Amino acid sequence: MIVRFSFVSIRLSKALVLLLPLAVISVAAFGCVAPSSGGGCAGPGAQGWSGFASYDGMLYFASMDGSVLAVTATSGEREWEFSVKTEAPQGAPCGFACMPAARPAAIYGTPAVTETLVYVGTYVGDEGKVFAINRLEPQYDEEGIPSWTEGEWFYPRGERSHIGAIVGSPIVYEDTVYVGDSQGRLYALDAVSGTGRWEYETGGKIWTSPAVKDGVVYVGNYEGKLHSLSSDDGSLLWEIELPAAIASSPVVSGDTVFLGTFDHYLWAIDGNSGREKWRFEGGNWFWANPVAKGDVVYAGCLDHRVYALDARSGRELWQFVADSPIVSTPVLVNDLLVAVSESGEMYAVQAASGVSEWETSIGYSVMAPLHAEAGMVYVHTRNDQVCSIDAQNGQKVWEYLLVSD
Amino acid sequence: MAELWNTFILEPVLNSLIALTTMVAGNFGVAIIVLTVVVRLALYPLTVRQTRSTKAMQALQPKLQELQKKYAKNKERLQQETMKLYKEVGINPLGCLWPMLIQLPIWIALYQSIMQALAATPENLLNLSQHLYSWAAVGQAVPLNEHFLGLQLSKPNMFIAVLVGGTMWIQQKMVTAPATDPRQQSMTSMTTLMMPLMFGMFAMSFPSGLSLYWVISNIIGIVIQYFVTGGWGYLRAPSAPKPVPTRRIGPAEQQSPTIKKASKEKRGLFKR
Repeated sequence: MIVRFSFVSIRLSKALVLLLPLAVISVAAFGCVAPSSGGGCAGPGAQGWSGFASYDGMLYFASMDGSVLAVTATSGEREWEFSVKTEAPQGAPCGFACMPAARPAAIYGTPAVTETLVYVGTYVGDEGKVFAINRLEPQYDEEGIPSWTEGEWFYPRGERSHIGAIVGSPIVYEDTVYVGDSQGRLYALDAVSGTGRWEYETGGKIWTSPAVKDGVVYVGNYEGKLHSLSSDDGSLLWEIELPAAIASSPVVSGDTVFLGTFDHYLWAIDGNSGREKWRFEGGNWFWANPVAKGDVVYAGCLDHRVYALDARSGRELWQFVADSPIVSTPVLVNDLLVAVSESGEMYAVQAASGVSEWETSIGYSVMAPLHAEAGMVYVHTRNDQVCSIDAQNGQKVWEYLLVSD
Repeated sequence: MAELWNTFILEPVLNSLIALTTMVAGNFGVAIIVLTVVVRLALYPLTVRQTRSTKAMQALQPKLQELQKKYAKNKERLQQETMKLYKEVGINPLGCLWPMLIQLPIWIALYQSIMQALAATPENLLNLSQHLYSWAAVGQAVPLNEHFLGLQLSKPNMFIAVLVGGTMWIQQKMVTAPATDPRQQSMTSMTTLMMPLMFGMFAMSFPSGLSLYWVISNIIGIVIQYFVTGGWGYLRAPSAPKPVPTRRIGPAEQQSPTIKKASKEKRGLFKR
């Protein structure tokens, strides 16, 4: 019996010697990211990143398959849907390693909107473009050529075919669009014609949105540097290097810039000098953008908490514990702070005290920033559902599921 | 099960790798190399045992084949004689398997750690946050700088994929004894070639950070094999092993031009 076992085991061992490396490859390839947060590998699971921009009763948002949509804020009725056409990088490898290179154009950022145009930035492998789309009805033809006469454009064009992949949102300030790319450049584009006004090399990947106030552009990068630039010509006013990479987009309130870093700190930086005012340590990354109002700054953290801090001193006023990480940027609606956790639990607390007012379940994971308007809170979920929640009682007013026709 | 794996295996390796990146001035490529060396050194006793066991098994092949021919019609006797032979020379037939099984979880954890640490997309980066310790050295390193010696570690690279296949082929060739039976010889040659080719192909779609780990791991394996087995093994002399004195040469083998040629030339792969 022992002899038989040994003989079989020898053959088995030979087979296993060949099979084990294959097992290693399979686990490494397919187990690259745990599914705990909805599947980390780029692909169909990674939906619902874009927040909302609103104008004249319409909501504009984007999807990870390159669509830009317009829905009516009051009813959720779809007005139009436009698919951004881009070409995947030539020869981009794809397959076992969850590489994002060959997927179609994705839109991570929240659109920016003006009276006439909607602006989005795309992410196609290593490449990106900025598209300006007619706000009332896209006029791009089937080849993806914009209607110049209707004011539409894309950037870059001509000899330069693309810029780096865009993850953050474009920001419109006066007549200029500001957007950063994964190659570390900040671009200032003419909002009407789409021509480049100036570029600034930050020296590190930009995956967040810039902030603009009073003629000053603030942009952070993954080298831990916050840059303050003149909005006129992109000249550097000051820069500060923080101990870790910048995780959230900068938010300006008064003369202070608030942002989160990957070493678990929320920072308050003097907007005039670039000096640190204070820093507050959370239990994980401050991935969501802070929300500042008056003397209070609210910050959602991946440690499941929402912190309310004194904007002048960084002293903690109160904290609220959610059931899962806060990835989505909260919103203020009147005297309520509304936040949603990654698992889809939505919480409304009194902004002054942190006392809970209501709680409801969206039913799906949420990562996109919340948007509030006219007493309603709008949510874009990871299964590409959009819904409207009454901020006073947490009741769902309408919902809309993105389905490709 | 997944929680246990993440807590006790993946996260310690992942966080060590990222903390190591901070210690080597934020260079993730150097951190991968250092961690690979550390892991391979820690597993050195197992690797040596595995190498010796494999070598001993292969040295025994002619005698095993002789037994197979001798007792071709009596399976039970063949098994008894085989076990007797193992006992005589003091070999455990599973000796080359257990070290590999023990190393497997560490390899997988290293692969996963490199994949996760590189966080090529925002969703990957966000997912990474759930696996990190609150060490300052970890927070300061994330997100990692993915550039190393002209490689973008989160993207595939043809050159390093070729290195993966090449080093794996050398490593395999060093320990793979050519079979005396032409059919077996053909099978062995195919296996020796197919595995490196397959890994090379996979490496073309993996982030090159993973391939870097593979190349370094293979090179260390080659060095260990060189010293443990006392040279380049069958890489320099890929000829068929000499027949044991009592061995009768079968008709198929007599007609094999491959064996004849190899025996006549007695030269290695590199004509040395």
